Amino acid sequence: MYLSLNWVKKWLKLPNGLSAEQLALDFTMSTVEVEKIIQQAKNLENIVVGRVEEITKHPQADKLEVCRVDVGDSSLQIVCGGTNLSKGMLVAVAKVGAKVKWHGEGELVVLTKAKIRGVESYGMIAAASEIGLVDLFPSQSDHEILDLSAFNLKVGQNLSQALELDDTIIDIENKSINHRPDLWGQYGLARELAAIYKINLKPYSRLPIKPQSKDLALKVTVEDTANCYRYMAVGLKNIKIEDSPWWLKKSLEAVGIRPINNIVDVTNYVMYELGQPLHAFDARQIDRQHIFVKGAKKGESFVTLDGKKRKLPEGALMISDQNKYIALAGIMGGQNSEIASDTSQIIIESANFKASSIRRTSMDLGLRTESSARFEKALDPVLAELALQKAVEIIIALNPGAIAASEVIDVSHSPYIVKIIEVSEALINQRFGSPIPTKEIKDILKRLQFGVNHRAGKFVIQVPSWRATKDISIAEDIVEEVARIYGYDNIAPTLPTVVLHEPSYDIASSTARDLRTYLAYAQSYTEVYTYAFTDVGWVPKLGLKLADHIKVKNAVSPEQSYMNLSLLPNLLKKAEENMRWYDHFKIFELQRVFDKNSKGTYHIDQQKNKFLPRQPMMLAGVELSRVSGEEAFLSAKGLIESLRDYFNIDWQSEKIDLPYAALAYQIKYQDLALGEFGILDSKLFDSGPNKVMVAWWQLSFETLLKYINENKSYSALAKFPVIKRDMSIIVGQSVAWQDIESEIYKVSPLIKHLEPFDVFIGEAIGHGKRSIAYHLEFRSEERTLASDEIDDLMKKIISNLQKKFKADLR
Amino acid sequence: MDKKLNELKARLQAELRSVQDSEVLAQIKNKYLGRKGELTNILKEVKNLAAEEKPRLGKLANDIKFELQSLLDKTEKIVSKPSGAGVDFDPTMPGSRREEGHLHPITLVQRDVEEAFAQLGFGIYDGPQLESEFYNFSALNIPADHPARETQDTFWLENHNLLRTHTSNLQVRMLEKYGAPFRGIFPGRVFRYESTDASHDHTFYQLEGLMVDKDISMANLIAVMKSLLSAVFRTKVDVRLRPGFFPFVEPGFELDIKCLVCGGNGCSVCKQSGWVELMPCGMVHPEVLKFGNVDPSVYSGFAFGLGLTRLVMMKYKIDDIRLLESGDLRFLRQF
Repeated sequence: MYLSLNWVKKWLKLPNGLSAEQLALDFTMSTVEVEKIIQQAKNLENIVVGRVEEITKHPQADKLEVCRVDVGDSSLQIVCGGTNLSKGMLVAVAKVGAKVKWHGEGELVVLTKAKIRGVESYGMIAAASEIGLVDLFPSQSDHEILDLSAFNLKVGQNLSQALELDDTIIDIENKSINHRPDLWGQYGLARELAAIYKINLKPYSRLPIKPQSKDLALKVTVEDTANCYRYMAVGLKNIKIEDSPWWLKKSLEAVGIRPINNIVDVTNYVMYELGQPLHAFDARQIDRQHIFVKGAKKGESFVTLDGKKRKLPEGALMISDQNKYIALAGIMGGQNSEIASDTSQIIIESANFKASSIRRTSMDLGLRTESSARFEKALDPVLAELALQKAVEIIIALNPGAIAASEVIDVSHSPYIVKIIEVSEALINQRFGSPIPTKEIKDILKRLQFGVNHRAGKFVIQVPSWRATKDISIAEDIVEEVARIYGYDNIAPTLPTVVLHEPSYDIASSTARDLRTYLAYAQSYTEVYTYAFTDVGWVPKLGLKLADHIKVKNAVSPEQSYMNLSLLPNLLKKAEENMRWYDHFKIFELQRVFDKNSKGTYHIDQQKNKFLPRQPMMLAGVELSRVSGEEAFLSAKGLIESLRDYFNIDWQSEKIDLPYAALAYQIKYQDLALGEFGILDSKLFDSGPNKVMVAWWQLSFETLLKYINENKSYSALAKFPVIKRDMSIIVGQSVAWQDIESEIYKVSPLIKHLEPFDVFIGEAIGHGKRSIAYHLEFRSEERTLASDEIDDLMKKIISNLQKKFKADLR
Repeated sequence: MDKKLNELKARLQAELRSVQDSEVLAQIKNKYLGRKGELTNILKEVKNLAAEEKPRLGKLANDIKFELQSLLDKTEKIVSKPSGAGVDFDPTMPGSRREEGHLHPITLVQRDVEEAFAQLGFGIYDGPQLESEFYNFSALNIPADHPARETQDTFWLENHNLLRTHTSNLQVRMLEKYGAPFRGIFPGRVFRYESTDASHDHTFYQLEGLMVDKDISMANLIAVMKSLLSAVFRTKVDVRLRPGFFPFVEPGFELDIKCLVCGGNGCSVCKQSGWVELMPCGMVHPEVLKFGNVDPSVYSGFAFGLGLTRLVMMKYKIDDIRLLESGDLRFLRQF
């Protein structure tokens, strides 16, 4: 939305010496964010009015002329190719230093003195498109220069001054005034400025409409009264379609609208002045001048004035005559009834439609216009009347002989009533955090044109109609109005004084935080974040089915349309990508996954009987290396053992068969599966000639949280010494260490610790055999052990191992 | 002369750093402190100085002479030790470091922010990312036809569920669960249906905060934000509020901080304005309190939404948001 300072000066006088920058800042601090400031004159610097005095042929070029141009203080030689050049013509001369767009395209460039085919040229005789004025001066061909002869201009004058294109425009971000229907017109913006600067605002002036005949028997029937709050219309005759006068054109130019003709321009002008969209129909095209407002039926279509045939959503609010639709209400007129060059009778519509109805149709059709943008903000129905009166006033002024030739129709079904809000002074002071003088509150509200009554510590406030449609409805809204004009900067910061309450301890977030740190800094894992959308390539490789994944209806791409059911597809994808850079790495992620097939604990609404899908927090890791399968597996196993100590949960691992794994174990606690780990089938990785080993692990963080045991107690330090011995045995290769270990521990409770330190397989010890060497530690809680006691235990161990596993001492 | 003396000291220090044997050391000693050495020459100039300058510069020159002497002595001791006594390896080889893991930059920044809030008694909570229309919109005073739904481009799932567009989805859930008074933050992942480029991603991280108690005011909001942001940025931060519209707060604000790069004078980071838009915030709308079963005539509060991803990008000067979820270890190993 553009705020034109020249425009608002119709109603107020801004403080002396107020710069555009300061105004933009004040507006940002009190009302809405300003995007940028546009100075019209800035782009027309060094461009002046000139008169062509002499034209001679360019000696080297057929299509160019060499001109002498009087620019007031001097006469310049300029090479020009304009097809409409003539002696005595008033033209726009871009002097050296001016910014122009070559042939109306590309970036602005600064003009320098140039030699064109051997002839010096001191500037340029500009085409409208070259100096950004093509909307105001549309040209027939690209080679036409801007002819200003029709204007009464002084040679040498700056063009911006001569054409009064010297406005300052404040560009306001549209999104930030979505909630302020009153700020979609210049008058509403002026009202805001008047409140901020404590200056007078002239009332909005317009003339009542005086019908002079009833030649146009205008009738309006509103069928859909739920969506059409007010419909006003009037017919005018003796209209002559022409170009608009300069003042109207330049006002539209300032707010970025292209002038069209003296009727359409007036409807646009009033829309930009008041925020109220208007529409003008060619009265010839409306059967018996009877207008209906009704909902579209299923399957109908309509050609809008941009020439596009549109399929109408059922119930879309339409303007029609007895036989056909003539406009898409509040969005765009129809091609069948638009103003033509020979139009002489018109019907002007000024209506108020329900915001959500317009918004829905506009969204369904993907058609957003200046009109729909305003209606969907919930406009004040009072504006319909002001706007119609203003439009008729201007049209009659521009068309001598034009008269209102019908009754002024006004069908009203407005749901709005006068809004009164009671606000206690105490509430305002409480929300501010310190007392604000009563007078100040009253003064601010009055400046914003609220009706204010104050008695017994309470304000009774009447909301002006333009703020009452949705923007202001509760006491807190009044607090905001007072505070923003008072200035948030004027509120002194004070830390709250509150009653201490018992700390609530959220084990999930503190555990997550510590666990991440532990994995990174103690276990050398690097944390990765991946998207919630699963890698569809890895899903089938891991035996998962896409059908079990939650699908995104409006995905950004087909590859990102399923939600993670497991963290592994994305982690493995990232591992694959990193293989290009690294031979060995460990990565992990702690994040939620989404389970389509099971119900979670979060309810969907306050009925509390329906639940969102389960979205458990999972922890998963991948280690990629170029080592043996044994090393890769033991590394993952080691991590799982460390985590077992970390969480202090006495879980067990059990070998399972997974189709995608070369070796896999399930982690179980009291028959509950917590996760799994193992090494992947190496065929799943396309790793090139050098084989990689990929170990993975994953744990249900959510389940772990239930069993974490934070009760740790210390064990007394040993009072008696440990005795260490080593032993080396040879067993069959199929004998598992786990079995040997438990057999040894069975021998005596004095055996406290066992640790293998060397494994050997080779011809020296025989085919199919394995030698294992390990440390043993013996200790008693009651006494110092004697050496022969240990010798006996060693013998017993060997004999048991021989019996059980046919082991030999090495 | 001050400058000359200090320069001399700096030069000597630099030269001493690379000295390996006593012969070189002797040369250096002579060059600076010898009878025709540089310091000696400067000292000679002292007598030519104006009388009022003499005492001060004389003292400075002597102090520096003493300093240089002790520097030389120290170096001499190191150099004169019989080389490599008891050491049969090359100590200049790089140290052996154990393999290190790295936390994600968002985790790192989130930890800092959490710590600051925890000190003011804010609890840290988590909740669903896959959310219902009710908690993401309706409970935040954004009914079905509200244009604000449109400005938050949403990923839709089946059964009117969606991927939360903001961490504000937890406001009402937390009030339902814990009631008032309440003080908490909810960091986490949020989603917007939009195409990605260097500065936009469909996935990013926010940190929502909510404080509800008796008599909470705008003055409180400003003060709490000011203290917390100062703690987060580890420097005194100036904040300003300006109007901003969000249906779940009333009044609603945009909070700007005075640009930390230029100190408010205007630079490219703050687009010459001196201020950087940091977070939307406001006083909790009474409808939201009601949805959370909190009586708005007794309690009031404030809420804010800090863009964690944005903070991370500011802190580490990351110019491409997509790096954060790239999983690229060349990036992650820098943190």
